[in-house]
Amino acid sequence: MKRKKKEYLECAAFTVPSLFLVMLVFYIPFVMSLYYSLTEWNGISKSPKFIGLENFKKLFSGSSDFLQSLIFTGKYTIVFMILVNILALAIAVALVQKIPAANVMRSMFFIPYIMSMTIVGFIWKFIFSQGFAALFEKTHLGFLNLSWLGDSHLAFYAVAFVGIWQALGFYIVLYIAGLQAVPTDVLEAAEVDGATSWKKFFKVTLPLLGPSITTCVFMSLTNAVKVFDIILALTKGGPGGSTYSVTLDIYREAFQNNNYGLGSAKALVFFVIILVITQLVLKAMHSREVDL
Amino acid sequence: MTMAQRKKTKKIVLTIIMLILALIYIYPVFLMVINSVKPFGEVIMDVIALPSKIEWSNYTYVMDKMKYGKLFLNNVIITVIGIVGIIIFSSMSAYIISRKKNKYTRFAQFMITTPMLIPFQTIMITLLKVMNVVNLSGSKVGLGIQYWGFGIPMAAFIYGNFMSTIPKELDESAFIDGAGTFRTYRSIIFPLLKSVTFTVIVIDVMWIWNDFLLPLLMVNSSNETKTLVLSAYTFVGQFNTQWHYAMAAMVLAVLPSIIIFIFLQKYIVEGVVAGAVKG
Repeated sequence: MKRKKKEYLECAAFTVPSLFLVMLVFYIPFVMSLYYSLTEWNGISKSPKFIGLENFKKLFSGSSDFLQSLIFTGKYTIVFMILVNILALAIAVALVQKIPAANVMRSMFFIPYIMSMTIVGFIWKFIFSQGFAALFEKTHLGFLNLSWLGDSHLAFYAVAFVGIWQALGFYIVLYIAGLQAVPTDVLEAAEVDGATSWKKFFKVTLPLLGPSITTCVFMSLTNAVKVFDIILALTKGGPGGSTYSVTLDIYREAFQNNNYGLGSAKALVFFVIILVITQLVLKAMHSREVDL
Repeated sequence: MTMAQRKKTKKIVLTIIMLILALIYIYPVFLMVINSVKPFGEVIMDVIALPSKIEWSNYTYVMDKMKYGKLFLNNVIITVIGIVGIIIFSSMSAYIISRKKNKYTRFAQFMITTPMLIPFQTIMITLLKVMNVVNLSGSKVGLGIQYWGFGIPMAAFIYGNFMSTIPKELDESAFIDGAGTFRTYRSIIFPLLKSVTFTVIVIDVMWIWNDFLLPLLMVNSSNETKTLVLSAYTFVGQFNTQWHYAMAAMVLAVLPSIIIFIFLQKYIVEGVVAGAVKG
């Protein structure tokens, strides 16, 4: 009995710091936001006013910015996920072909990933506004003369492009690691059987890359839905509010409009949506994986 | 052409294509650097042209204006505090959770790793309120401590996966030699976790060093506590027409990461891959 008690005490002593810290930054704020989502509160007045489900009704009424930001984030996530995975896989395949200086090139693609996303946003703001104009004078390529950050339709592509530019190196590196783990004897066997390079890639490499694809698709999903820094630096949500992501919209509602209650409601809805989508994607991906 | 020759030509063509692609890819970074050392007039005249002379005064001006040394130190303090706590607490809890299987540790494991599913933005509003109450907002140490909480779930998860590969006989024999649980953790287990600790350091340094939103909420109000990225953000906002200064500030903000990456790239790439695969 005494030994058992000592064991429990030991377990507690080793885990309490972690538990306490996680409580402090995740669980307590989370439970509080459940409550605040049911209130109207400007952050200054002493006590929040309880208003029931009013905030949630407001979110889904047609006039809210929230729906627009959800659509933007959804579009961004889809474009980001598809392009990041295809481009990263293609570049990774090229870089594992034993070409000279492959490691140097890998590093060149990786550099944007180690830079702060805010700075990346600023770099591209400079390129879109100053750099493109200068390049247009030299080359007269039409796309350089468009107002990439000033037009609400183009701004979406500008934001997605910069997001992909920043993150691509990370996925390239993951795919390279995955490709290097594909056993060479299987590939050689396919070659002996007369498979062409394309066939080898689609029939052998790609199915065996399952775990890497799952990781990359999942990570690109969770990173894309949270997009924030890049947009803040690049467009601040403009022009005309067309590039507000959900996270930026939550930030604006709480810290700029001082609607803490409404902001909390948005945050909760966002949480539930993400939870459902990530679980669904994870399930779908795992059921497709092939074992060797 | 023989088969071998054709293969060789193919490889050369591929190399050239990839090289051009990679050069275009980092061209924006190059543009940032060359414009950061141009006199103002040349930035306005021609963004693409190389500088006629290197204007170091852009840098001295920005470093002085931003108080770069102080900011750099702030970043180091916050990052070091964050990393040390994350490593100690997450490895400790992962150790006991993997070794003692009982109701309590199962509960602890669930509570510690579940927050990986909670996006930061869903709790940031009320987080600020909680941190004001417990006095962790507005200070470098306080921010560092908050990173403990935010970093522990993922780190504990990675440590936990690795712990199960360390044979239990190791700690049992230490136990027979009279070492207590803590002693075993410190002198037997923790050294064996070296490779994971390294992975955690790489991922979390990159994250904390470049983090924006949490510092924006917690330490943006005073110049004493600002981080490098925050200050660059404010600076570029103020100097958004004086691009030569803005560019110098941006280079200064990313330079530490790039220098470290150039020297440790092999390890950084390994760490990032390991973190993603295990995480």
